[in-house]
Amino acid sequence: MPTDAPDALDPLIHVPTRLRIVATLAALPEGDTVSFTRLQDMIGLTPGNLIIHLRKLEDADYIISHKTGNGAGSRTTVALTDQGRAALDTYTQALRGLLGGL
Amino acid sequence: MNEIRDPNEAAATGDNEAAAAGDEGEFDPREAAALLQQTKRRARNRFNPNPPLMSLLRAIVAFGAYGVVWLSVRGQHPYKGPAGWALAILYALVIIVIIASVGYLKRATTGVKGPSRMRPAESIVLAVAWILVYVFMGALEHAGASHAIVYGIYPATAPLIMLGLVGAALAQARADWPIFSGALTVAVIASVAAFFGPAGAWLVAGIALAAALLVQAGASAWRQRA
Repeated sequence: MPTDAPDALDPLIHVPTRLRIVATLAALPEGDTVSFTRLQDMIGLTPGNLIIHLRKLEDADYIISHKTGNGAGSRTTVALTDQGRAALDTYTQALRGLLGGL
Repeated sequence: MNEIRDPNEAAATGDNEAAAAGDEGEFDPREAAALLQQTKRRARNRFNPNPPLMSLLRAIVAFGAYGVVWLSVRGQHPYKGPAGWALAILYALVIIVIIASVGYLKRATTGVKGPSRMRPAESIVLAVAWILVYVFMGALEHAGASHAIVYGIYPATAPLIMLGLVGAALAQARADWPIFSGALTVAVIASVAAFFGPAGAWLVAGIALAAALLVQAGASAWRQRA
């Protein structure tokens, strides 16, 4: 196995939970957003855990979030950005290349 | 703009960075590839308002509903129209499909917003188109059109033609090409079925519609696996 092979994989995406988050958001049609609650239900994380991972992805501009309302009535929606889709595509290609070489 | 920074949300369950960071150990690329495929497939399935099983259900219902009506009208000379029991079965099956479709649509689109969601105006157009088909049927009867037309060729084909064309137009506007081609195919099939006479129209429309829905189910299943 090439010594530098693991470095070819985006460390932000190459984490089980964040991989699941990004892959789930990528399944949405472009332009669509999903609520935090629905995403949490699909990924199966606690709200706090999900927020931590979403924050990391948002800091890298892989996702964008939008909050409406205040207090108990507030709603947060999340979507993958173009940069996030491109990053997932690059990650997928790198993974294919890596596994093809094994 | 970073929105996910509400400390109350993170504190609510007592989770912390360490718990999330524990996720960041060695992650075998083979496991990553398997997880990626599995997640993509599951997400596509859960976001899909028209999964293969729904198309399969619609195909079975189309075949059953139209078939039952055809059984009640075949051999009628002169043509009178479907028997009451056949119409009751047809409507019951249609209601079942509508309830199942709405239920599945709601489940798939809960929490999802954006251009892929059907807008209220689009639902209204489809509902009005459906209703007007039967209003026109009343006008045909009022004008003295024959039973072969009013209770045969027209109800067997006109709803499919109308909803097929309206559905195709709406699908084209959102660039949903699978739905566009399916809806257009249904409209064309129904037009051809009209040439088979009042009883034959039910049979041909039912078989062809079921076949089209089966093809859609197969295509949907193939896309989900891709």
